[in-house]
Amino acid sequence: MLKFIAFFRRFRVFLVFMILQILALSSFFSVMSFPRTKFFNSSAAITGTLLSWERNIIKYIYLDEANERLQAQNIELEKRIPDNFISVDAKTAIINDTIQKLSFERTPATVINSSHSFTNNYFTINAGSLKGVERKMGVVSSHGIVGIVYDVSRHFAIVKSVLTSDINISAYIDGTDAYGIIKYDGDDPRRVKLTGISNDIVIKKGSPVNARGRGGYFPQGEPIGVVENLEPIEGKPMWDITVRLNQDMRKLRYVYIIKNINQLELEELERGIEQLQ
Amino acid sequence: MNYLLKNTIRLLIFVLAQGLIFGQLNFGFGIHPMIYPLFIILLPFDTRPVVLMLLAFLAGIGVDFFMNTFGLHASSAVLIAYLRPGIFKRFAPRDDYDVLKEPTATEWGYAWFVKVSGVIVVIHHLWFFSLEYFKWSAWKEIISSTVLSTLITLIIFILIQVLFFKKPKSV
Repeated sequence: MLKFIAFFRRFRVFLVFMILQILALSSFFSVMSFPRTKFFNSSAAITGTLLSWERNIIKYIYLDEANERLQAQNIELEKRIPDNFISVDAKTAIINDTIQKLSFERTPATVINSSHSFTNNYFTINAGSLKGVERKMGVVSSHGIVGIVYDVSRHFAIVKSVLTSDINISAYIDGTDAYGIIKYDGDDPRRVKLTGISNDIVIKKGSPVNARGRGGYFPQGEPIGVVENLEPIEGKPMWDITVRLNQDMRKLRYVYIIKNINQLELEELERGIEQLQ
Repeated sequence: MNYLLKNTIRLLIFVLAQGLIFGQLNFGFGIHPMIYPLFIILLPFDTRPVVLMLLAFLAGIGVDFFMNTFGLHASSAVLIAYLRPGIFKRFAPRDDYDVLKEPTATEWGYAWFVKVSGVIVVIHHLWFFSLEYFKWSAWKEIISSTVLSTLITLIIFILIQVLFFKKPKSV
């Protein structure tokens, strides 16, 4: 027993080293494979508050740009207000639309911390469970898709951005309806890859890439980017498609969190698919 | 000043500076300047290895909180804290260190400081970027990130030393 204790005394430093390494690395690698840790993230109250102070100061620099964007969006929205239309015929003007029902709600939020230069990038937004944000909700900006909510605290949430190697958003190319999966290979924060499209499908450069709406994270047709380049993969009957993102992830400030009202119904129904297979 | 108080304040300053300033800088080319390893280098010579590692772990977690890296910084910081005594011994002057003096460049000379912090920072960055990419095929990115970031980090280290660590007046 004494020898045993002496052994520990001798290797104390190395033991402490191993314990601390295991703590740190297990946290890091468990996060990489998607389950959550409550501990190491900036949605924690203190850093969240500090970062929102910082963002409060910095946001004045970007007011101009934000105003321009809002103006453009306002014009777009104003086109849809019925008051701005002249009714051609009194009978047809009354439309009681029961075919369309609201299915996606949007909550606005501001990005308070973000990265874009790592292979896996996350950003923090200032809306949390108090505003109805939940895990696995889609996040978009006014230009297009930016990520999926990864973890939520009361006032903040962490979003897994499109620039993450395992983001796997299902997308289709407008005009051909061919669909594949969006992946990020860690090189260029402006571009992502669209994988899984067979190379017998004719694809035009410059055609838009939109979300397919799988899993109910995003409405169908939510823009992602445009096809910038395509090359055949050697030894595989697939296209290697480079998609240029509509939203420059380096300039992300204002985002919307998408809540799918029929999410539960979709999940219940799709659970049956596995059993059928 | 009391060593404990001084180093606690230093820990806070380094973590906040890393999280709010240096972590938000974007140089491109995979460069990530990290200043908190300087905190670990600057801890007194006679800090016991276990205490050294615990402090490094604290600093690492603090930075992880800000950068959403979930333990990556903590792991790298603990590694260099573990290796620090060995590296210091390797570069010791002929009549060994005077434990009452701090391991700063003004006390031991810039040549010594660049050598020691160079080795420590290279180990830190190599560990950090290898774990971040975590695949063999990315070795080019790992090497280039490590080399470029090390250069920037060392320049920042020296600037901090020149600006904030005045040579104490000899009595």
